[in-house]
Amino acid sequence: MIEFKNVCKKYPNGTLALDDVNLTINDGEFVFIVGESGAGKSTMLKTLFREEKISSGSLVVDGYDLKKIRSYKIPHYRRNLGIVFQDFRLFPNKTVFENVAFAMRAIGVPTKDINRRVPTILSIVNLQDKAKSFPNELSGGEQQRVALARALANNPSIIIADEPTGNIDPKLSLEIMNLLIKIHKHGKTVIVVTHEKNFVDYFQQRVITIKDGKVVDDKVGGMFDA
Amino acid sequence: MHNKQKTRYSLSYLVSQAFKSLFRNGMMTVASVAVLMSCLTVMGSFALLVYNINYNLEDLSLNEMVVYCDTEADDDLVEEIGRRIRLQNNVVEESVELIPKETVLEEERETYREYTDLFDMMGGDSNPYPDTYVFEYKDNNKVSSLQMELEQMEGVDKVNCRADLAKTIDSIKNGIIFIFMWFLVILFVVSVFVIINTIKLAVHSRRQEIYVMRYVGATKWFITTPFVLEGIAIGAFSSALAYGVEYLLYNLIYNTVSKYPLIKLAEFGKDYLWLIVLGGFVIVGVVTGIIGTAISLRKHLKA
Ligand SMILES: Nc1ncnc2c1ncn2[C@@H]1O[C@H](COP(=O)(O)OP(=O)(O)OP(=O)(O)O)[C@@H](O)[C@H]1O
Ligand SMILES: [Mg+2]
Repeated sequence: MIEFKNVCKKYPNGTLALDDVNLTINDGEFVFIVGESGAGKSTMLKTLFREEKISSGSLVVDGYDLKKIRSYKIPHYRRNLGIVFQDFRLFPNKTVFENVAFAMRAIGVPTKDINRRVPTILSIVNLQDKAKSFPNELSGGEQQRVALARALANNPSIIIADEPTGNIDPKLSLEIMNLLIKIHKHGKTVIVVTHEKNFVDYFQQRVITIKDGKVVDDKVGGMFDA
Repeated sequence: MHNKQKTRYSLSYLVSQAFKSLFRNGMMTVASVAVLMSCLTVMGSFALLVYNINYNLEDLSLNEMVVYCDTEADDDLVEEIGRRIRLQNNVVEESVELIPKETVLEEERETYREYTDLFDMMGGDSNPYPDTYVFEYKDNNKVSSLQMELEQMEGVDKVNCRADLAKTIDSIKNGIIFIFMWFLVILFVVSVFVIINTIKLAVHSRRQEIYVMRYVGATKWFITTPFVLEGIAIGAFSSALAYGVEYLLYNLIYNTVSKYPLIKLAEFGKDYLWLIVLGGFVIVGVVTGIIGTAISLRKHLKA
């Protein structure tokens, strides 16, 4: 469970990016976060994976109090999260297999388990045939699926995606959204920041609208209204 | 659905990352090694210089004091003087040695063979030489009070020592140590600074990888170990090179100096001198590498 209580985030330069945010996201929910550019969406995700620390209020995720968490515990906390960015952040000199395996190696998964689990994960995102390809041999949609596979590699309970379709051909974007829905149906909490009105309206999920750092709308089956 | 498996990091991965990074930042690595090596060589040369100064001074027996008894003093009084010398705090008890006047006479006779007739007149009661005590003292700074105290003793005629010379040499030695210390501090700071920059560059060229590692939950330990190994490798490599340079330099100087009888140099193999130099280099080199890396990582890596 994710719980924002009176959360404010002020950047060192004085920008108030989150202003008294109150939100509860339950386990297994699917949530769209929408809002204008500069509204504070990315900041909200950054506080979730503890890239940024909140300035006041409280933020508790799966029992971790992110205001008080000790720095040595942050890596272990992050293993509960799978993160996907607009710009994929794949390693161009590593194969698809190695890109996914990297996430496992980084937390010390034995090679034997890596070799067993990577093909399974690649088949979830329908890339089982591309294991040996390099990122530049793939379409944008395929690259984002690799990034999604990497986010899933360590079996996190929460998936966070910041504009996952922002750099992708609109025709291929639906595929990514469908995958995120599929992952949600497997029981994971999925939080997606997006600008894509069509998808938001089509999927009829919970929609949280942010404006000037405040939650101004929060409806299940909501519509894009930013 | 937490990942609770035991983490087993692959050492070969961490080591290979460190070496890849060393080669990727070739120029900076070379600069770090060169600066650190120079620093170590200067440090080693300085230590060897001080060692050799002491080595040469050992033979000069600078902290030696000589007490001449009155020629009229009888054996009991001479013995009493010896007992009281040994009781002094500043005297190395075991070093106190009595040279009886008969021995002095013999030695003088040996020295001046041509004048045997002169010496034949001496001997027995007409021996003009005094009984003499020779001993070492401990503290150069308290020499004059020791000298004064001994001179006032009954049956003591004169007390000689070379405290002034010893003090001069001591202050020259301290001056050399002082100058080199500052020189070293500066070189050390420069070395740390260059290593900080090398590691900073290494962190920068791997920033994307580090970012991904952080958000998939890699521990700080896993992320930083390759950089720390890189720092250690720079330190170890620099110390090995510095040892080589020091070895060649010292032997060159040794071979040159040994032509002159006035100064003697300790052999590099003597008293495990080489091992002390090598050990010092490795310790200082590796510690410098680690300090530089640690400072760099503190500044450029967050949780
Ligand atoms: N590191 C930072 N330092 C200072 N200000 C920042 C920083 N990151 C973001 N901001 C500011 O905080 C506000 C919210 O930014 P944020 O990136 O969260 O917006 P966003 O909703 O994700 O926008 P977009 O849709 O364009 O990605 C903006 O005014 C932005 O300029
Ligand atoms: Mg954003």
